[in-house]
Amino acid sequence: MGMMRGDEYRDSLRRLKPEIYYLAEKIASVADHPAFMPHVNAAALTYDMARAPEFEELLTTTSHLDGKKINFFTHIHHSTHDLIRKVKALRALGQHTASCFARCVGHDAMNAIFSITYDIDQKNGTDYHPRFINLLREVQAKDLFLSGAMTDAKGDRRLSPSQQPDPDQYVHVVEKKKDGIVVRGAKTHITGAVNAHGHLVMPTTAMKEADTDFAVCFYVPVDAPGVIHVFGRQTNDDRKCSGCLIDQGNAEFGIVGGEALLVFEDVFVPWEHVFMCGEHDFAFELVERFATAHRQNYGGCKAGLSDVLIGAIYGLNETQGTAGAAHIKDKIVEMVHLAETLYCCSIACSCQGYQLPAGNFIADPLLANVTKLNVTRNVYEIARLAQDMAGGMLATLPSEADWRDSVVGKYVDKYLKTSAEVPAETRMRLLRLIEGMTCGTALVESMHGAGSPQAQKIMIMRRANLEHKKRLARNLAKIGE
Amino acid sequence: MALKYCGSCNPLINLSQIGHDLLTAIEKEDDLVFVSPESTDINTLVILCGCARACGNLIETRARAKRSIVVAGETIDMTPVAEINISGTLTEKLRKVK
Ligand SMILES: Cc1cc2nc3c(=O)[nH]c(=O)nc-3n(C[C@H](O)[C@H](O)[C@H](O)COP(=O)(O)OP(=O)(O)OC[C@H]3O[C@@H](n4cnc5c(N)ncnc54)[C@H](O)[C@@H]3O)c2cc1C
Repeated sequence: MGMMRGDEYRDSLRRLKPEIYYLAEKIASVADHPAFMPHVNAAALTYDMARAPEFEELLTTTSHLDGKKINFFTHIHHSTHDLIRKVKALRALGQHTASCFARCVGHDAMNAIFSITYDIDQKNGTDYHPRFINLLREVQAKDLFLSGAMTDAKGDRRLSPSQQPDPDQYVHVVEKKKDGIVVRGAKTHITGAVNAHGHLVMPTTAMKEADTDFAVCFYVPVDAPGVIHVFGRQTNDDRKCSGCLIDQGNAEFGIVGGEALLVFEDVFVPWEHVFMCGEHDFAFELVERFATAHRQNYGGCKAGLSDVLIGAIYGLNETQGTAGAAHIKDKIVEMVHLAETLYCCSIACSCQGYQLPAGNFIADPLLANVTKLNVTRNVYEIARLAQDMAGGMLATLPSEADWRDSVVGKYVDKYLKTSAEVPAETRMRLLRLIEGMTCGTALVESMHGAGSPQAQKIMIMRRANLEHKKRLARNLAKIGE
Repeated sequence: MALKYCGSCNPLINLSQIGHDLLTAIEKEDDLVFVSPESTDINTLVILCGCARACGNLIETRARAKRSIVVAGETIDMTPVAEINISGTLTEKLRKVK
């Protein structure tokens, strides 16, 4: 084995037999079903770009375990240079997919679990870390794509896991056996779950002693018995058909990562794949490390997506004859400024990263949270500016079928044309790309993916160092002298 | 000779196109042979970087070859060269050093 190509990744999915449902249909092969193909294509690009000479410096690296060349998405970061490289790799992938390529979530989970298992072992004398290293060796050797499954269903948000009337609202241990544990519950919104090889499952919140059964972290293959995937709907997903290639906007890579409800119906997990079982005092630290790693990313991938969106709207303005107008130039500059601000944030939190006891590196948590909080705002503003410049046709554009129709096609073509040199089709394609990137599901991902804004504010408050700021002010105001 | 890219995160010049043009031009040259950048026998290494940050221009990368030429955005070895002329100028330089 070794680093896979995109087509080898697709074949590897075909060999698996996961239980996946979409629109009440059991899916035989995600690699060959139109609803999933764009997401499979986006993940496949993380394999193909790693093998392309132009990108290999970003997307491949050397394993710290055995010195072999590996895909960067299976790497444990061992320097701030690695952290910066991740952000740059995400930007490059964002530029070439204009979508989510899903592999970063499991990558961030690997880095968080690598460090937390070491810390638990140091305190409790357990052997979670060597178990995780064994899994990591397999992931690196086979170039596996793992999802990162943290978000529980959560039931009544006011109640802790152990207070829920239905304990299954949080994934928990229902039985401990000699050879492993049995888990039940569900993780929601899991990116790439249906086209991953397996899942890394983590607790979603801080826990107390009463929540011991919920403090569980483990790995399961995607087709383990009792693991059920229910794929989520996306805006305009009924356009994923052969007659709607233009209407899809980005038919090759789709929008966001393809998320699923991931159900664990009494799933057996052997001890070798259990990395936390009852250590409730480490749950919060694991959540924070995963969240930091994941929030670090967003100024990378979203800058890459914004590069495409800015290119699309600039091109559309040229076709519509508005590109030279002063207010259009100003809005384009504002889009660039907002996108590069996000990139600055991701680069900054990476530069300020530091080493954990396990030896791996984590981004600066305060700055990583600032990054993601900015994403919940800037991406919406970038989309608003694009929609402003695109015009109302973004919402009312006739279908590809009508444009091709023998009766009305000539009218659609004639009235969509904005200049003699540019075909109406160019305008249609740009409008659809912009529609897919700025309407519906794509935007919600920027709001809630890696945590809602309040989650970032809580972390920012924890690390704001307000006492230091107060001291600075008191000193200069000469208070109490 | 060999070609090594910086990683292409957000290039200011079309690196793939320049690399492709260079390969095509070199194929026509009798005494210039492309080898892998991992090879231990590189005469000249062209390091193609998308911007002035020049992430690919590392000591350990340069050490793989007897000499290197560094493209960093619209510069070759720190001398300004318009994007359109980069592959041509590189071919000229390679002819001279072969
Ligand atoms: C496209 C997409 C991809 C995602 N991918 C992944 C993934 O791969 N892996 C993964 O683990 N997760 C993933 N997520 C989940 C994401 O982390 C969650 O959506 C996010 O943490 C918010 O949780 P929630 O959706 O349950 O919303 P809720 O928690 O219900 O939040 C809704 C609102 O209620 C507020 N709220 C929640 N609880 C409380 C409370 N106790 N008191 C006061 N206010 C509260 C929140 O601040 C928010 O404003 C993804 C989400 C999206 C949209």
